[in-house]
Amino acid sequence: MLGYVLIPLVLAGLLPLVSRFSRKFLLDFLPNVALFCLLLYSLASQSGNIDSIVRQLFWFGQPVGLNLCIDGFSRLMLFLIYLVSFAVSIYSVSYADAENLGSKAYYYGLILVIVAGLSGLVMSSDIFSIYVFLEVAAVASYGLTAYSRGAEETEGAFKYLLLSAVASGLILFGIVLLYSFTGALDLGEIFIAARNPNNRAVVMVCMSMFIAGFGLKSALVPFHTWMPDAYTASPATLPALSSGLLIKVSGVYALTRIISVFGLNPAVSLVVVYAGVVSVVIGTLLAIGQTDFRRLLAYSSISQVGYVFLGIGLCTPLGITGGLFHLFNHSLAKSLLFFNAGSLEQSTGTRDLSKFGGLGKRMPITAGTSVVGSLSVAGIPPLNGFWSKLIIIIALVQSGHPCIALIGVLASVVTLWYFLLVQSRAFFGKLNDTWKGVRESGFWMSSASLFMALICIFIGIFFALFVKSWIKPAASAIMQGMNYVRF
Amino acid sequence: MELILLIILAGSAVTAVFLHDLLKSALSLILASIVLAIIFFMKNAAYAGVFEISVVAGLIMVLFIAVISMTKHEGILLRESGFPLILFPVIFSLFAVAGIFVINRLMLQVNAGNTLQGTFGQFLWEKRTLDLAGQAAVILAGVIVVLSLFRKGKEDE
Repeated sequence: MLGYVLIPLVLAGLLPLVSRFSRKFLLDFLPNVALFCLLLYSLASQSGNIDSIVRQLFWFGQPVGLNLCIDGFSRLMLFLIYLVSFAVSIYSVSYADAENLGSKAYYYGLILVIVAGLSGLVMSSDIFSIYVFLEVAAVASYGLTAYSRGAEETEGAFKYLLLSAVASGLILFGIVLLYSFTGALDLGEIFIAARNPNNRAVVMVCMSMFIAGFGLKSALVPFHTWMPDAYTASPATLPALSSGLLIKVSGVYALTRIISVFGLNPAVSLVVVYAGVVSVVIGTLLAIGQTDFRRLLAYSSISQVGYVFLGIGLCTPLGITGGLFHLFNHSLAKSLLFFNAGSLEQSTGTRDLSKFGGLGKRMPITAGTSVVGSLSVAGIPPLNGFWSKLIIIIALVQSGHPCIALIGVLASVVTLWYFLLVQSRAFFGKLNDTWKGVRESGFWMSSASLFMALICIFIGIFFALFVKSWIKPAASAIMQGMNYVRF
Repeated sequence: MELILLIILAGSAVTAVFLHDLLKSALSLILASIVLAIIFFMKNAAYAGVFEISVVAGLIMVLFIAVISMTKHEGILLRESGFPLILFPVIFSLFAVAGIFVINRLMLQVNAGNTLQGTFGQFLWEKRTLDLAGQAAVILAGVIVVLSLFRKGKEDE
């Protein structure tokens, strides 16, 4: 269990030393192998399907306190973390070389620290530990945003840092208030304290702080302004990692876990559903007319996170199942699309969609995988994104929100429209003379895109099996609050 | 007394943000940090006070001032938007109102019975080991970020 955090962390510390002996092979090999092994381990751990908990270990005879827990929800998130980070790591083998990103030791080090932070966050059963690991991932992500060191990158990173610091401040203040009143930091103890009628006022104040703080981390409207700037200028792997993992784990996962511990009550449900629908609408509208590919994807992410909150906010078993499934599907598809954006930018030197044209002939793998990613995000059958959106829409209708369901369907149609525009502008039509010398991106970049596209198709075809084995246990963990309270 | 210290703390922090001279801004931040440390001591949080003075007001500020002394002013004046000057008082007032009417009332009801068992070090090691490991990870992340941002570029080589 500890290996999920320790292995990436230790490797991140060792890579600068390894770079003294091997400047290329080992620096690419070690992170990829480590992330692949952890991905396999997280996949294998699902078969056990038994909640594990660690309260205390002995180290050289001394007791050390650890509050770790893995339930169905954590298991799903761990699988997602290692799936996306492994794809990012494969993509980086060619990408970091071609982009001249400097020392790969630091580059991979930052990715590994983000992975370690996110893994620690999903396994923590203590609200303060969740905050600490949130900061571990956040600090490394600021560095990765500014990694190229240009003016645009630095500005994006600074904006991200400032707004993220506000979010951290709100979350920390919520934790302080909660601890002052209840004396509880352990999620199991908070589960009990939150149900004490005397604590109702403090629970509401803390909950509003957590919604604002984690809402900022997950770029919910109106807390979304940091995302387009941070995603536009950074290396292409940062938005893939951030849209795929950071906003999902440090925003959506953390907020969902806290809502489930505090109790799924109608007031919170209403706030989350309306925040979700506003994000869906605003994100979709802002994405229309964007000519910068990455900026368009960033606004699309805001809208898709809105769908996730729509499902989870309903607090019904079907809604939570749909929300979690969409969280997983969107992570895969959006990481894939950011890979495609990075490949296009590297081959052509621009992100401006109006300058592209006919690139499908020169970059068939990027074009093909981009179609899969776009259709998945837009929710076209039989891709994975279709099933999760369908479950959310059915859940909305079942719980008496037909108007919101209609808005969700219309936003999905608009999403399809702007993604088809992207496809036609970038990959179809006559090849622009400027791009006659353009070639497909590097082998590892194409492999990572293919890997993600195949998973999107596979989950789309075998969605029932995936929902049964991964999503249902996660949804039931949320519905039951904190399972391990009973241990 | 506490209210006066809080006003000085907020005032010096705001001044640090709005000052254009980096050195004066850093000095203003030192004042904020020292006042915060005094508040920590008054609240019997001696460890927090010591860390605030030694690390934040001391070590980090030395680093800030050392870096500022190495920078050169190239005469470029950046145009700044006046929007924060209008927005800041509004947001600050909202937080002040929320602080006085909601948080302050809540804090009056706090039961101060959450005391540590054993020494501070024992508590941290035996009960909060995961947080200590997390803090070590934050420091590692910070070190890698600094090393990556100040790495040698092709132009330096």
